[in-house]
Amino acid sequence: MNALMVKALAFAAVLIIATIVVVKQMHIDLSDPINLLTMIGAIAIAVLTAGVSAKYISQMKTDKAGGELAEENWDGIGEYKNELPSGWAYSFLGTMIWALWYWQFGYPVNAFSQIGQYNEEVKAYNQKFEEVHKNADKATLQQMGESIFLVQCAPCHGTTGDGLSGKAQDFGARMSKEQVLHVINNGQNQLGYPMGAMPPGMASGKDAEDIAAYVAGGMKGEQPAAFAACASCHGADGKGNNGMAPNLAEYDATLVSHVLEHGKKGIIGRMPSFKTRMTPVQEKALAEYIQSLSN
Amino acid sequence: MFHWLEKNPFFFAVGVFLVIAFAGLIEILPNFAEASRPVAGLRPYTVLELAGKEVYKKDNCIACHSQLIRPFKAETDRYGQYSLSGEYAYDRPFLWGSKRTGPDLHRVGNYRTTDWHENHMWEPTSVVPGSIMPAYKHMFTNKADIATAYAEAVTVKNLFNTPYGDDIKAGKEAFESYKPKILAEAKKIAAEMKNQDVKDAVAKGEIPEIVALIAYLNSLGDSRYAAAK
Repeated sequence: MNALMVKALAFAAVLIIATIVVVKQMHIDLSDPINLLTMIGAIAIAVLTAGVSAKYISQMKTDKAGGELAEENWDGIGEYKNELPSGWAYSFLGTMIWALWYWQFGYPVNAFSQIGQYNEEVKAYNQKFEEVHKNADKATLQQMGESIFLVQCAPCHGTTGDGLSGKAQDFGARMSKEQVLHVINNGQNQLGYPMGAMPPGMASGKDAEDIAAYVAGGMKGEQPAAFAACASCHGADGKGNNGMAPNLAEYDATLVSHVLEHGKKGIIGRMPSFKTRMTPVQEKALAEYIQSLSN
Repeated sequence: MFHWLEKNPFFFAVGVFLVIAFAGLIEILPNFAEASRPVAGLRPYTVLELAGKEVYKKDNCIACHSQLIRPFKAETDRYGQYSLSGEYAYDRPFLWGSKRTGPDLHRVGNYRTTDWHENHMWEPTSVVPGSIMPAYKHMFTNKADIATAYAEAVTVKNLFNTPYGDDIKAGKEAFESYKPKILAEAKKIAAEMKNQDVKDAVAKGEIPEIVALIAYLNSLGDSRYAAAK
């Protein structure tokens, strides 16, 4: 064992002792595998540093260079024509093969996609949302409906749902007299109910006036005889025959979801479709909230 | 084999550049070419909409409104489907914006109406209480620059092959014969508005800025797709 090796071993020993002293001084908990691994790593680095330095220092002292010199030299410093070490050559070949795999399969199949991440996130959220609120109670739905209303509906219908003095539907009541007359005179075929189109002119003159006054008044009091024309589709109580035709008495969930899906153009103006912008639970919540506005 | 390169620093540098540039090109170009293509069914802006786009730029709407919906749930919940790069293919320049003092407008045509914009541009707090957006009443009297918008359409048609019809071509005569089409479009917008001065102006054949702007805002969204109903 020569003097250099002794020095190297001594140097490594000092580094190891220093590491252990630091670990003890800082009261590091070695039962934590991360701390233990870190300490083992530090010792390994110490040993490798000492060993590799010793190897090259001894090589510098003893090695005699040999082999064929390349023609060029830089300020008198030449270069031997050495073969590429075989380890390097194999790893180079390996990276080329890996690159082909990565280019053809690895990247295309495993590439990160922002849209993919978005889709997964939305899907997971929606699933959780539907599950949590599957049997939501009325109060929760109303609260949810109010938040949705304030973001999506309030710009036109107003924060209180009053329709901003005639700029949009006023949710304080179901329909005004003018609206009912407009529908009777022009028909209605926008909402996609199973009953289909309502033809214009189902009633006229005094009959239409009577129906309009009755519907606008909240379907209270004595039903005018002319309402029979409406009842065949909308039901005797005007509630729409269980979703076959629009509910004239109140804003039920079916009505809200049909208007959201198809939009509506009436005497006030046009409401765009809000298709795909809300989940079924959100539509239900919105219907609950809108109903609460007219009560 | 490449020993001579080591003696020629210049060619060595050229070689390094070529290798890195090639790697860059095969990563960047295919994606770029794909993304800059218009999405299927997208139509270019009409001349009236282009005039509205000019109003949008002139009054600096971009300072407070973005036109880029990022693929985050919080954004798609509020503004609708996230934006695709191909949707901006006919935007020269695109108006993404980088500041949202007000909401994003990339799909505003899907959920607001002519009528709403009219109320809102006249007096924003009448529809959005607490809004800090200023009123833009001058748009109801200023006239939109239809001639420049037409020239823009001709330019992008000739320069970038934007698919406009054969009736859009250079020359005063072509412009004069195209004008009725622009006016017809403006009349449709004015018919849904309530401001009598605007209606009168359009009936006289003039186009106030507000009409062009509303046409542009209505075009932001699904109505710019040929397949849309």
